[in-house]
Amino acid sequence: MIKTSLILIPILIASLSAQAQQPEGRSYRAQIENSVNLIKTGKNLAAAQQLLGLSRTSTIPAERARIKYLFGLSLMELNLNQTAAFQFAELIRTGDPSWTKQAIEKLLVVTDKLGDETLLNFAIQRVDINQIPAQNREMLFYRLAETKHKAGLAKEAIEFYSKVTPRSRYYFNALYNMGLAQAESNQPDLALQSFRRLLNSRAKANVTDTNKVAAQMAIARVLYQKQDWAKSIEAYSLIPRDHKYWHDALFEKTWAMLRAARFRSTLSNFQSLHSSYYEDAYLPETLLLRSIVYLYICQYDEMEKVLSLYERQYGPALTRVNNFLKNTNSDMYFQEVNKTYQLKKNTDDKKQLALPYNILKRVSEEGDVRRSYAYLKKINDERKLVEGSSQLKGSSVGSYALRILNNRINSTRAVIGDQAKRHLTAIKEELTDLNEQSSFIRYEMINGKKETIKKRLSGKELPKSNEETRDRSFYVQNGYEYYPFQGEYWLDEIGNYHYLGKQSCE
Amino acid sequence: MAFSFQSKAADLNVPQDELAQETVYPLFDNPVSVRNRNVQDSGTFDIGIFGGAAITEPIANTSKFGLSLNYHFNEAHALGLLYAKNSTGLSKDAQAMKDEFNLDFNRAPFPEYSLMADYNYKLYYGKLSVTKNGVLNTSIFVSAAGGMIKYVHKSYPAIAIGIGERFYFTNHLALKIDLRMFFNNAPIPFKAGALREGVDPVPSYDSFAERLTYTTNLEIGLNYLF
Repeated sequence: MIKTSLILIPILIASLSAQAQQPEGRSYRAQIENSVNLIKTGKNLAAAQQLLGLSRTSTIPAERARIKYLFGLSLMELNLNQTAAFQFAELIRTGDPSWTKQAIEKLLVVTDKLGDETLLNFAIQRVDINQIPAQNREMLFYRLAETKHKAGLAKEAIEFYSKVTPRSRYYFNALYNMGLAQAESNQPDLALQSFRRLLNSRAKANVTDTNKVAAQMAIARVLYQKQDWAKSIEAYSLIPRDHKYWHDALFEKTWAMLRAARFRSTLSNFQSLHSSYYEDAYLPETLLLRSIVYLYICQYDEMEKVLSLYERQYGPALTRVNNFLKNTNSDMYFQEVNKTYQLKKNTDDKKQLALPYNILKRVSEEGDVRRSYAYLKKINDERKLVEGSSQLKGSSVGSYALRILNNRINSTRAVIGDQAKRHLTAIKEELTDLNEQSSFIRYEMINGKKETIKKRLSGKELPKSNEETRDRSFYVQNGYEYYPFQGEYWLDEIGNYHYLGKQSCE
Repeated sequence: MAFSFQSKAADLNVPQDELAQETVYPLFDNPVSVRNRNVQDSGTFDIGIFGGAAITEPIANTSKFGLSLNYHFNEAHALGLLYAKNSTGLSKDAQAMKDEFNLDFNRAPFPEYSLMADYNYKLYYGKLSVTKNGVLNTSIFVSAAGGMIKYVHKSYPAIAIGIGERFYFTNHLALKIDLRMFFNNAPIPFKAGALREGVDPVPSYDSFAERLTYTTNLEIGLNYLF
């Protein structure tokens, strides 16, 4: 009896399965239509739930693709962009011709919102521009230009950037990047035209408008590239101090002044650049540059102070970077960058970092790290959205989304870790090189001192005038008042320090 | 934040393009007014000597001398002790009344010293450039003190509020000017028939009535930060 039952069970299952498959197509279609209606009426969670269930059980390829697309659509409406992107990417991978085009369009939109470059590139490679709706076409031109630009194909990048019209929200970025690509491909005059167009188009904007300031900064840089030092200095001077680019402008202007042989002006700027307001800035090069200027004017004592400061700050920093680079786990790099971002927001306690704060700050401000971190923040926000909604969290869609998001978070952290490691390796190389240069500069300093002593002994030293004996090597002037600077930095004086020392060379 | 009193501009040769074109502040993640302060008083002590005058004291000698000790918890808060010894004798006005009307206010009780805990809240740190050759750092503070004033016969609880300023000649040495108003119960030095010189018996100090008294004090001293 038992044996008969065991034989009957598979037959029964097979028979039930056959009965179930027969109306499958009709039943699925009805459920899909129902999901479409739910999306139309704004019941996106219910639609997503139903579509997730259907996507797991569907065996008909055409319906499967449609379900995937609709599922992605409902997730998009729920603001679950990363989870939606995953659906569209999956659908594109299957290569179903009837839904791929729509999926690419949607993938472009969600990845643009997320800043997910990997998926965006994935979509771009499969896109046919002519089939993309007009409202998304300019975004696509911009993204395509970016891809070409990154690949070093400046000419093609410029062509795509130029297709972005003033109507697009990418217009200013496209104009700026086009100028950048022109400058990179050694067309400084065309680059100047692009940057000036950008500047003019933002003429009425606030003085600290980022597009406006970035354009001004770019103009100064191109003029520097053209070795027009005077105009470059003038252009850098127009960067407003209450903008985050001001410090960079001051640093670059200092280089321009040095190239124009304006040593006194160069030293004036260093006083601001090396003020304690910028103690968190990574500026090893400027310290060496400052010491070289002191060498030019034979101020060996000042030179020694600056070189010692460099060695004190960046000697141990190199050792710490070297030690840290022995770590192979990319998450440790991510953790350091992450702490740096948290410190920026919350506290000044930098002792908990394994690396010097100024180095980590530099790494965290690198474009790729910043972009990846911004993307990570968006995925984290999406996870918070799921976890914060009891309805969503308790649903199968919520669990599914969390699984995808957690995977993406882990992989993005690894990406940030790798990016940080790459930048740290570059910093290590830079510091190693600069340390070597520092030794040469120190040698020149000792040599210079020796020559001065020789001259003094042979009575060749020039008598000092009264003006030279006055101790006023630095002073502060804002155009109306001046007084000696005594090493105390005031916020309203940054940028107003002037060096009055004279050269001590014969 | 920075003042300059100068009578004559020096012959300085700075290109116009290097002078500030605007008056906005640079942008920083955590902006603070001053960095690398000349006067680093956070976590330090200062010790001071001072001389003062009770501006509104009518009878007793107005001058006093004292010592103070403060601990600066940080750049905003300081707590300390101050001891002020009053000079003996009479004020100028009381001496005139003695000479003219034969009223001897020495018969009335007078303050001997005061001992108080003194809290300072430093409102402002700045600098002055009196000539173009030097810069003087300065700090303005408000004070609240509590303690007692010892009269010859009795001690009275007292409180004082004030405002003061320190002018730093060096990073450690400062001239301190303090204006305080004291509130305390004190004997009224006026008692009918008791103050005439030679009239017996000499009134006991306890026989003088008491009332809430306000006295304004101006103190000037030197403080050393260590």
